[in-house]
Amino acid sequence: MTWLRNPPEAKPDAQAAEAAGLDTTLASDGRATTAEGLRHAAADIQDAAAEGLRHAAADVQDATPEGHRDAAATPHPAGLSLGVVGWLRWGWRQLTSMRTALVLLFLLAAGSVPGSLLPQEGTNPASVAQYYSSHPVLARVLGDLGLFNVFGAPWFAAIYILLFTSLVGCVLPRTLRLVGSARQPPPRAPGNLSRLPFAVSYATPLAPEAALESAAKALSGKRFRLRTGPGWVSAEKGYLREVGNLLFHMALLGLLVSIGLGGLFGYKADRLLVTGTSFANTVTALDEFHPGRLVGPDNLQPFTVALDRFSASYVTSGTLVGQPAAFNAKIRYSASPGDAMHSYDLAVNHPLIVDGARVFLIGHGYAPEFRITDGTGRVVFDGAVPFVPVETTGLVSEGAIKVPDANPKGLGFVGVFLPSAIDVGGKLESYFPAPNNPMVSLVSYAGNLGMNSGPSQSVYSLDTAGLHELAVSPKPLAIGQSVKLPNGLGTLTYTGYRQWISLAITYDPGQSAALWSGIAVLAGLLLSFMVRRRRVFVRASTDETGNTIVDLGGLTRSDAAGGFEDEFAGLATEISGLHQASIDASPSPDPGLEAADRTDREGSGPSSHQGSGPSSPDQSDPPDPEQSAGE
Amino acid sequence: MLRLPYFASRVVGAAVRSPRRAAVGALVAAAVVLGAAACDAGATAQDTAIGNGSSFVTGNYGTTVFRSGARPKAPDVEGTTLTGSKFKLSTDRGSVVVMNFWGSWCTPCREEAPALGTLARNFAGTDVRFVGVDIRDDPASAEAFMRTFRIGYPSVNDPNDLVALDFSGTVPPASIPTTLVIDRSGRIAARIVGQASYSGLKALIKQVKAEQE
Repeated sequence: MTWLRNPPEAKPDAQAAEAAGLDTTLASDGRATTAEGLRHAAADIQDAAAEGLRHAAADVQDATPEGHRDAAATPHPAGLSLGVVGWLRWGWRQLTSMRTALVLLFLLAAGSVPGSLLPQEGTNPASVAQYYSSHPVLARVLGDLGLFNVFGAPWFAAIYILLFTSLVGCVLPRTLRLVGSARQPPPRAPGNLSRLPFAVSYATPLAPEAALESAAKALSGKRFRLRTGPGWVSAEKGYLREVGNLLFHMALLGLLVSIGLGGLFGYKADRLLVTGTSFANTVTALDEFHPGRLVGPDNLQPFTVALDRFSASYVTSGTLVGQPAAFNAKIRYSASPGDAMHSYDLAVNHPLIVDGARVFLIGHGYAPEFRITDGTGRVVFDGAVPFVPVETTGLVSEGAIKVPDANPKGLGFVGVFLPSAIDVGGKLESYFPAPNNPMVSLVSYAGNLGMNSGPSQSVYSLDTAGLHELAVSPKPLAIGQSVKLPNGLGTLTYTGYRQWISLAITYDPGQSAALWSGIAVLAGLLLSFMVRRRRVFVRASTDETGNTIVDLGGLTRSDAAGGFEDEFAGLATEISGLHQASIDASPSPDPGLEAADRTDREGSGPSSHQGSGPSSPDQSDPPDPEQSAGE
Repeated sequence: MLRLPYFASRVVGAAVRSPRRAAVGALVAAAVVLGAAACDAGATAQDTAIGNGSSFVTGNYGTTVFRSGARPKAPDVEGTTLTGSKFKLSTDRGSVVVMNFWGSWCTPCREEAPALGTLARNFAGTDVRFVGVDIRDDPASAEAFMRTFRIGYPSVNDPNDLVALDFSGTVPPASIPTTLVIDRSGRIAARIVGQASYSGLKALIKQVKAEQE
């Protein structure tokens, strides 16, 4: 594709064009990895858009791959006669172009924006309900557009499925092409080696055949891949670059697949666990559950975790006083019901791995314990209530206690837990995160808690709409102290406290595959950057005087490291040594001079071709069959 | 005591919008970002239990009815009831068992409780047994709940989720509340995910009750 477009400037001989073709073929193969490549790709997109239609239209006329280029030359009323296959081909080319991928990527980013601006059903259904009641008309429109569940909306799915298809459709054919490129033999030697960037020429007493044979042997010993013909030897090295390229592309596919795997079969969940209690990894026991597309409630690993003890230590002096020093949770777990329990020390960055699922310790806090009797004298609440830390220096925590079934009236409390309570000028504060003086301060309410109908409530806050505040002394409570509620509504006793931890459970079956793919992506990228493909050509012929003249030429691409000049000089010295000759001219970085010296003797090629680099190839030259296989 | 269960909204065989797609979307977005070689992961922020107190997903509840040939076998769950007596599901073999997973803290459970209490009284004296499984609750609150809604049938106290876990291989309770109707041969005939209605549950019970063993 790339070189077909170049307008024919002149007519260098076929071999020179082919050798020069190295540049364009390598450039188009490596386009995903280099900045230069991106420019090539951009050109391809332009081209695909303009030519795709014509090509597709032509394909309907003439199904043979050869024929469509000729047909494309004649203007055709595209669109009318495109046909189903033509449109499909055209559509596929559009979808897998890099421009489309970039547009889709942008759409994906833009489509996520409402997901962060508007409340989402998946994460915050209560806010969605609130939005519906405050903006009934607008909310219905937004809801119909799926904007309250952006990541589950069909249009969002359409974007990411198209993007995935586009990427796979782009990477897969390129991978196949790279396989071809890595197996490709070196091209034939160009006729005029002196025009190559690196060239030497010398006379040898050996016969041309013998000279070529020994040169081939030397190159083969340097692990060059060889191709021979009458009077010439071509050698190429650096196929590892293609292998790296291939590795990069295949690993990229692997990465996509493994991340997709995690998205389909993995899940994330959270659970808050109070010391002295246990839970099982089942949906009803989880606080948050974000399953993959194909994960059902019956796919969770059936492990059980019991928290025996949690200890946190804090820095007690210096500028970092109050900062956490270490957390340790003594847990017991069993992999499935009926299995033996194992002990484990859970710590930050020391997760429990059970049955492929990882359980991380991600947070901790306090759960004060209360016993509440109602107006009838019955105990209506007796347990620990997790409070949520609202600051870190003293771990002051807030929470709510709800007793909807108290008689004669439902009871509710909002409170503050202070691990190290201290009175600062009449204001209660906590000076340290450890429980040195654990106290609670509560505000008491009575009435209807609104829990018998309507939207579900957060357990950490109290909906006071149907409640009235009780006149109770705001005096903070120490462990064992009680507060008697007015009007015979009952009594609350602060009986103690426990600690809680929050756990994140993640299961990602594609995780290790994604890791290895990522490593392979990097390795392939490095390989394709560091290894360069280089070619060495040898020609031996007899001149008018009967002497054997040996020409050596060398070519490489993107020789940023500059190593090829030395490599070529070394090879030239070695081969000329084998030929019992000394090099009369050192390898010249300016082959133009050499070419000028030699045009008379060899009589090939007009002097207008003394360019310093390879000239543009021409489509009228019969290309090497393997070479033309790649676009 | 931890009252934050996830209310799964997916129903077997029904296409409903599901929050689980959010994670897929985020993951695919991450894949795509990586794939476009501009590698910057971090699309999936993690919610914490602390960070988000309200994780209820309301609506999208549904009923699954299993044909008599395709009924999963219920595990023989056992436990101790709130009043301290032993419960074993297989001792009710030969009766239709209505098993309700609930918690006194859960709004839809409180909303459906009157219907369950009434149905249990209506079917009293027949071979229909009601049993509750109390999840993430303290017994004092649970007993107060049963007094409020005049629930006469026993409830297994399941603070360690072991009853729910026993069902994980078959038809796990996908949310709280979940109600199962188990036929006379100990197989699960129907599952209601979310709040059960009086008429809906009554129809299911009558249907299973009418079957011969």
